[in-house]
Parts: sequence; C-alpha cells; structure tokens
Amino acid sequence: MSNEVTESISSDNPTAKAFTLTSAFWFAAATSLGMIGAGYLIAPDFMANIEYIHFGRVRPMHINAVLFGFVTPGLLAAAFYYFPRLLRTELFSQKLGVFSAIFWNITVAAGIIGISIGHTQGREYAELPWIVDIMVVICFALVVFNILMTIRQRKESILFVSIWYTTAAVVLTSITYCLGNVIWKPDTGALLGIPDAIVLWFYGHNIFGLLLTPMGLAVAYYVLPIATRSPLYSHTLSLLGFWSLIIVYTHIGTHHLLQVPVPTWLKTISIVDSVAMVIPVMIVLINLWYTVKGKLGDIHADIGAKFVFTGTIYYFFVNIQGSMMALPHVQRITHFNNWVVGHAHIGVLGFAGVTALGGLYFILPRITGKPLYSKFLADVQYWLVLIGITGFALVLTTVGLIQGNAWYNGETLYRTLPEIQPYYILRASLGTLIMIGAYIGLYNVIRSLYFNRGASI
Amino acid sequence: MRMTPTVIIVGILALLAAITLTVVYWPYATRDITPSEIFRERSSIENTGRKIYLQNGCVYCHSQSIRSIDWGHGAERIAQSGDYIADEPIALGSQRTGVDLSQEGGEHPDDWHIAHFINPRYTRPSSIMPPFQWLAMERIETLTRYIQGLGLKDADRRMERQIYWKQEAIKAYEAGPEQNAKWLSEIVPEGWRNIPNPYPTTDASLHRGQKIYQNFCIGCHGPIGDGMGPAQPWIYPPPLNFTILKDRGISGGILYYQIMNGITGSAMPYFKRDLESQKIWEVGDYVAVYFINQSDANTEPRGIDAAWEP
Ligand code: HEC
Ligand code: HEC
Ligand code: HEM
Repeated sequence: MSNEVTESISSDNPTAKAFTLTSAFWFAAATSLGMIGAGYLIAPDFMANIEYIHFGRVRPMHINAVLFGFVTPGLLAAAFYYFPRLLRTELFSQKLGVFSAIFWNITVAAGIIGISIGHTQGREYAELPWIVDIMVVICFALVVFNILMTIRQRKESILFVSIWYTTAAVVLTSITYCLGNVIWKPDTGALLGIPDAIVLWFYGHNIFGLLLTPMGLAVAYYVLPIATRSPLYSHTLSLLGFWSLIIVYTHIGTHHLLQVPVPTWLKTISIVDSVAMVIPVMIVLINLWYTVKGKLGDIHADIGAKFVFTGTIYYFFVNIQGSMMALPHVQRITHFNNWVVGHAHIGVLGFAGVTALGGLYFILPRITGKPLYSKFLADVQYWLVLIGITGFALVLTTVGLIQGNAWYNGETLYRTLPEIQPYYILRASLGTLIMIGAYIGLYNVIRSLYFNRGASI
Repeated sequence: MRMTPTVIIVGILALLAAITLTVVYWPYATRDITPSEIFRERSSIENTGRKIYLQNGCVYCHSQSIRSIDWGHGAERIAQSGDYIADEPIALGSQRTGVDLSQEGGEHPDDWHIAHFINPRYTRPSSIMPPFQWLAMERIETLTRYIQGLGLKDADRRMERQIYWKQEAIKAYEAGPEQNAKWLSEIVPEGWRNIPNPYPTTDASLHRGQKIYQNFCIGCHGPIGDGMGPAQPWIYPPPLNFTILKDRGISGGILYYQIMNGITGSAMPYFKRDLESQKIWEVGDYVAVYFINQSDANTEPRGIDAAWEP
C-alpha cells in the first residue's frame, strides 16, 4: 500500500471534510425523519393533519435522506481521502470537490423539501422530481469528472481495488440513475405498465448493488489493510470479486418482482443469479477477512476500522439473507411485509451506513491532523448503532414472519394489526437509539472538524 | 490481469450495456400491451385522483398486485400484465402495511371511503392508516373516484350494484324505523331469517363479543349501539341504531347473515373474511343482548347441542 508515500500529499482536504460533514448532518436528519414515520405506525393520529410530514411523505423523505444524504456522501468522503493517497497525487480540484459537496447538499435538500410539499414521481427510490433528478446527475458527473481527472494525473501506476470499485460505482450510477428515473420523460419520469416496474427495480436494486455496495467495499478494502498493517490477501480474489459483482449484481433486480406478471425468463434469471450472488460476496469477504486474520486486536483499537469490520459482517448477513429471499417459496412468506424492511435496514444501515461511519472516523484524524475529538463518544455511537440495527433486524424479521404467515394462512391484514403493534413500539425504541447515535456522531464530527483543541498528531 | 483505467471503464460500460439490453431493453421490446378483459381507460377525474394517491405516498402502504396465494382484499382476481397497460408510473407497491387495493373499487360505497379517509379509525377501529382529513373534501372526493375505479371493469360492475342498493337503503331508511327494520330483514334470504342463534349466551361469549365489537363495529354503531359512532356524520343511511330492532323479530340468523355478508349499498361492510363463524355468532349475540335487549340464543329450533356447550 501507499502508506509510506503519503507525506508528499497535503493532508488538507476540504472536499473530504465537506462530505464528512454532509454525511453526519444527513444521518441525524434522516433518522429523525425515520422516527416520525415510526411514530405514525404506532399512533397514526399523532401529528395527524400536518401535511408536510405525513407518513406517505415522510417515508420517502427518510429514504432519500439516508441514501443520498447520509450513506453516499459518507462513502464519498472516504473516497476523496483515499483517491489522492492511493494515486499519489493531489485531488484534481479541491475547489470543484467542495463545490460538488455544497451542490450535493442543495440537491438533497431540494429533493426532500420537494417530496414534503408533494412533488414526487411516486416511484420507490425514484421519487425525486425531474429537476432534482438532473441535479443528482450533475452531482455524480462532478464527482466522476474530479476522480477521473485525479486518476489521469496519478503518479502511482497501479490502481488499488478501492479505486476500481468507486470509479465503477459513480460512473455506472450516473447511467443507471438516468435510466431508472426515465429521465427523458420529464413529466412522469416513468414508462408505461409492467416495463416501468422492470426498469424501476433494475435501477432500485442497483442503488444498492452498484452504488452502496461497491463504495462500501472500497472503503473496507482501503481501511482494513491499513488498520491491521497487512497486505491484501489476494489480488486474484480482488479481481474476481470485482468483476463478478458487476456482472451478477447488475441483472437480478427482477427478484423484487417475482410475484408480479413479468416475463418468466426474467424471473428465472434473477432467482438463479441471486443465489449466485454468494460468489462475489464470499470472494470479497474471504479476501478481506483473510487479510485481517489474527489481527482483530488492531481492528478493535481503531474505531474507524471497528465500524468497517462490523460492516463486513453485516454484509455477510444481508447477502445470505437476500439470496434466500429470492427463492419463490421463501418469498411467499417474506414478501410485502416487514421482513423486507428488516433486510433493507441490515443492508443500508448495517452494512453500507456502518461502513460509511467507519470511513468517516478513519479519515477524520487524518484530514484534521488531530485525534478524534472524542473516541469515547464514537464508541458510544458504535454501540448505539450496533444495538439499534441488530434489534431492528430481529424485531422486523419477527414482525415479517408474523404478518407473512398469518396472510399465508388466510388471516386478513386487519386482524394482524393489533398483533404487530408491540413490535412497532420496539422498533421505534430501537430507532431512538440509532437517532441518538446519529446526533452524537454529528456532534463529534463537528467538534473534530472545527472546535478540536487537541494536540496535533 | 492489470487493471488500468481503460480496462475498468471499458469493461464496466460494456457489461452494463450488455446487461441493460438483456434485462431491461429486451423485456421492454417484447412487452405485451394486450389489454386484459377488465381493462378500460381511466376517466380524467380518476387520473387526478391517482395523482393524489401517488403524491401522498399511499403506495408505500398499499400494493396493487394480487398473487395466487392471497386470500384477502381483491383475491378474486390474480393480477395480469394487461391490467396495467395505462399506468404511468405503475404503482405496484412493495409493502402491505395496508391491504392490496387493486380490486378496491366497489368494495364499499363512497360514504364508507369518505369516513375512512377523514379518519380510518372511524370505520376500522384498530387501523393504523394515518388520517387524510387535511386533504380537504374536494381532494378526498377525487381520490375516492380513483379508489372506486380500481379493478376497472370489475369495479364498475361492483359500483353499479353499490349505487342501486344505496338507493334502496336510503328509501327504506327515510321511510322510518319500522320500514327500515322490515326492509333489513327482507333482504336476508328466507332460510336465514328463521334460524335462532344455536349457541347459548355465556359470560365468556359476551366478553369475546364485546372485544370484537370494539375492534370492528364501535366506530359506526357507537359504544352504546345507537349508531352514533364517530363515523356517523359521514355515513348515509347512518349506521344502524340497534335499539330500534327491539320487538321487530330480529333473529340470530338475521344478525349472523348481515354481519357475514354486509349490506351492499350501505356502509355496513361484510365481515366474513375478518371473522370466523364463532366470532360472528358471538358479536351478533352481544349486539342482541346489550343493544337490542332481546336474544334468541339457544332457543328452538337449535339442533343438537355442540360438543363444547356447557
Ligand atoms: C401507514 C400506512 C398507510 C398509508 C400511508 C395509507 N394507508 Fe390505506 N390502509 C392502511 C391500513 C393499515 C389499512 C387497513 C385498515 C383500514 O382499513 O383502515 C388501510 C386501508 C385502506 C383502505 C380500505 C381498504 C378496505 O376496503 O378495507 C383504503 C381504500 C385505503 N387504505 C386507501 C388509502 C389511500 C388512498 C391512501 C393514500 C391517500 C392510503 N390508504 C394511505 C395503511 C395505510
Ligand atoms: C362503516 C360503518 C359500519 C361498521 C364498521 C359496522 N356497521 Fe353495521 N351497519 C352499518 C350501517 C350503515 C348499517 C345499515 C343501516 C341501514 O341501512 O339503515 C348497518 C347495519 C347493521 C346490521 C343490520 C341489522 C339488521 O336488522 O339487518 C347489523 C346486525 C350490524 N350492522 C352489525 C354490525 C356489527 C356486528 C359490526 C361489527 C362487526 C358492524 N355492524 C360494523 C354501518 C356499519
Ligand atoms: C446477495 C445479495 C442480495 C440479494 C440476493 C438481495 C435480495 C433482495 C430481494 C429478493 C429483495 C426483495 C424482497 C421482496 O420484496 O420480497 C431485496 C430487497 C432489498 N434489498 Fe437486498 N439483496 C441483497 C443484498 C442487499 C444489499 C447489500 C443491500 C444494501 C446495501 C440490499 C438492500 C435492499 C433493500 C433496501 C431492499 C428493499 C427494497 C424495497 O423497498 O422493496 N440488499 N433484496
């Protein structure tokens, strides 16, 4: 790794700082929105007639804030740190980087306020109105341009795995975002009929598969070897893991539509290759876990690496679970209910979000030149998030099983409502932990960035 | 393999292009746009209602796609691709926090929906659907038009039935309690009218009946059975005041049949999906004992006593 050469690169990295702050801020905002949603499910008449945060609006606001406000910028913050390091050059343009961070925030805010006042295209993960879609594409284009130019001016000829993944993520997402949002049809942002569902889930699935997953893995590939001072276990596995992810993950979005009248051949492909996802996933995990084998002490000692390593464990669970959920017999029970919500949180928070937090804590001391404002608070946040997300996984899976089995046995949905009420309360309590964790993290990040009186390292 | 920028960029773009062609473009190019037998175009007010539906995130709680394994709402018709050919965007939904709505049209008359949108707990006491009173009457009515069109031609047939029986119910209601009670009994098939409740009234059964009443009926018929539940202002003919049924020959069989089957045209829903047989007898008997003050439970002809009877 390029550890020994880092001195030549200026540690002042306003772009990484700006994305760090962005991520920490939207984590707090997004979890707050999530709590409002959870509140509605317990007490639907609470805040009953406030249009702008009504459940049907707050839910997509929450999701967009998580995906585009918290997780993606968090993973990008780390990327803007490791790109110069790994390529042994300065970032192509810090000005452009900072501008893209500011523009990113404007975009996310515009999207969320838009949904809040009723401007939505009504398609899951593609709600943002057309004008905001364009802004998102510009955001991605700015990032793509900046990192491609950085790659071009690199002094290190070998590209490390993290570079592959992140480049692929931002380049491909710029394209799938346009496709999925049917950007050439500004008024509806949709196709007609069943093809609309197919393109939507091609894209929706690739938000996880071609954006969060590769960027999360890129952070893991960067952080874990450095934290444990170990070379990466295998270059061959890195290669196989990368290409198999791009090939397999990209074309299984139809597993979201197994119970809908879409062509059978498409379902078959998506089922078979959802199971085949075990290959890219296990290759990467074997590679990463063998790299850190016997060095868990080092991981424990570095709060950033601790988050990232935890993320890889969640990555394992979400994918094994996902492969099972793609089996039609399993989906008879798990589809349409909170089981899927559990899976979504394991993936987006447990894996991608936790990894993003790890990235932030890993780079913070390195971009500020000072130790973290409080390692203790970071640890508190770690445990709050970990307990929260593990609890989520258990509670939501349980509710999902109750709902799924009841429906399958012919009980009406209405009858199951009182049964699941206690779990919604548990879910909101666990959500509170996560939200408190997010605010603690925001405080810690702000103090570390701006009001940190600690001695320089 | 040496990973140069060119290899990465060309490689990923080529793969994405190939995959997009196969799993997005090909299904698009070979899409089936034959309308299904229930298909019709939506009216313009229905389309406006659909916009309200999308704008307010109904889609996060309601699916519009019936599967072969479903039993509940809309299970009479398994979704076909020809049902969706005019939907842009398609609103399949991925969550059933609430029920599937693809065949919701004509499930209930309009007044039920209005009361339900004002506050879902008025018609469905343990609902967790948030209230939509803030949409204001005009938008609620537009939304209702969309909801009543869900199921397209099938919905239209159900709506015709609702509208016809609504007129009949109003006529009977306006003719006074005597006439109304008579009409209500007459719409029950002959055989049912003469059946008393075959099971005895017990403390336990009344207790269970009360619980069911509170979870299912209280929003309309009210805590004391006088039809003055919170839904009342929006419902016409208003929820039945059970006390008018006294001495009007209401048998356990009539109560059972009405609760099971509902009264099409009035807001009175059917409960045969929500409640099993025992529960229907028990809530019926609860109504008879407490509100009508007259129960024929366990009177002749009652057949052989069931094995569990005390
Ligand atoms: C928080 C989730 C949630 C949201 C948002 C929501 N609903 Fe519901 N909805 C439910 C639940 C739960 C039920 C079942 C209980 C009931 O009937 O109220 C339901 C029931 C219904 C029913 C009655 C079905 C029947 O025949 O019993 C209709 C119609 C309906 N919703 C329409 C809508 C519309 C239109 C919107 C958007 C304006 C909407 N819902 C938003 C949860 C939701
Ligand atoms: C959405 C409102 C609503 C709900 C909920 C409701 N009802 Fe009704 N009910 C009505 C209306 C309206 C009528 C008919 C009024 C008329 O036509 O005069 C009715 C009529 C009846 C009748 C007919 C009596 C007869 O003589 O034929 C019975 C019995 C009854 N309801 C019982 C119940 C029970 C038991 C429940 C709960 C399981 C229930 N209702 C829930 C609105 C409701
Ligand atoms: C082997 C890998 C994976 C497979 C096979 C898989 C499979 C699935 C399937 C089949 C569904 C649809 C479930 C249903 O609707 O019944 C689903 C939903 C979802 N998955 Fe995965 N998953 C995988 C990994 C991931 C990862 C890594 C993430 C996050 C980074 C993720 C995030 C989500 C989300 C957010 C949803 C919910 C979509 C919705 O709103 O309906 N998944 N997944």
